[in-house]
Amino acid sequence: MTDNSEATVQLRPGLWATVNKRYPGSMIHKDDYIPLAGLRKPLGEARLSFVSTAGVQPVGTMPFDTVHPIGDYTFRPVPSDAKPADLKIHQLKYPTTGALRDLNVIFPIERLQEFAREGVIGGLTENFFSFIGYNMDAERLERTLAESIAEQVVAECADAVLLAPA
Amino acid sequence: MSLKYLKEAVANNDTEKLIRYVRLHFGDGNEAAGRKEIDKAWMEALKLLLDVPATDREIILQTLADRDAATLAHLFFHLHFYFVQRSGEWIHDGQL
Repeated sequence: MTDNSEATVQLRPGLWATVNKRYPGSMIHKDDYIPLAGLRKPLGEARLSFVSTAGVQPVGTMPFDTVHPIGDYTFRPVPSDAKPADLKIHQLKYPTTGALRDLNVIFPIERLQEFAREGVIGGLTENFFSFIGYNMDAERLERTLAESIAEQVVAECADAVLLAPA
Repeated sequence: MSLKYLKEAVANNDTEKLIRYVRLHFGDGNEAAGRKEIDKAWMEALKLLLDVPATDREIILQTLADRDAATLAHLFFHLHFYFVQRSGEWIHDGQL
């Protein structure tokens, strides 16, 4: 028998209620529960992608719009073989001091490259995906940004995705 | 605060909710800090004009005439952060 209770399908049951209680007028009104997807092959054979809200982007690409009052709904593909020196951070809402010294603390690209080399994971998608977390229009975020990234992740044949908020 | 919350504030002409949002945005979630940041940007702009230096009014007027209001609003937010950064007193955790 399948147990579909909230406790079994959500990592943190009651999360949305807690957020909305703490932040009246919050953007989060999510009543449905998204079942966790199980891994279909061993991690050592799985191709991993990485999605981050850290505002990390390749040098020379259009900077994320950190000043817009409603947010930026674009994302940047980040080549998974990039070096930290190839990347920049455009993000106003978290302290970047540590990340500027070692990008891996917020965007662990070198650690993931190591995992791939060592066979801990099967490999990496050609690109990772990055955007900024300051987005006030949750519907637009879900309809455009999240959908677009999901399409890209599928197109790059990811078996698993590491999601990391900044 | 959600976009819906802000649109309701516009519909109800609830100016206090709207300006509070702007202050929170500029103050990284701290309304008093945001108020100070707005003042800081204006002071920085004023200081640059005290000696009445030559400025490119032609491009200013052309921009105001040619560009749509949303682009100018966006520019307005950029200018705020430009002058705050120029003041040398940067309160934000991250970078533009």
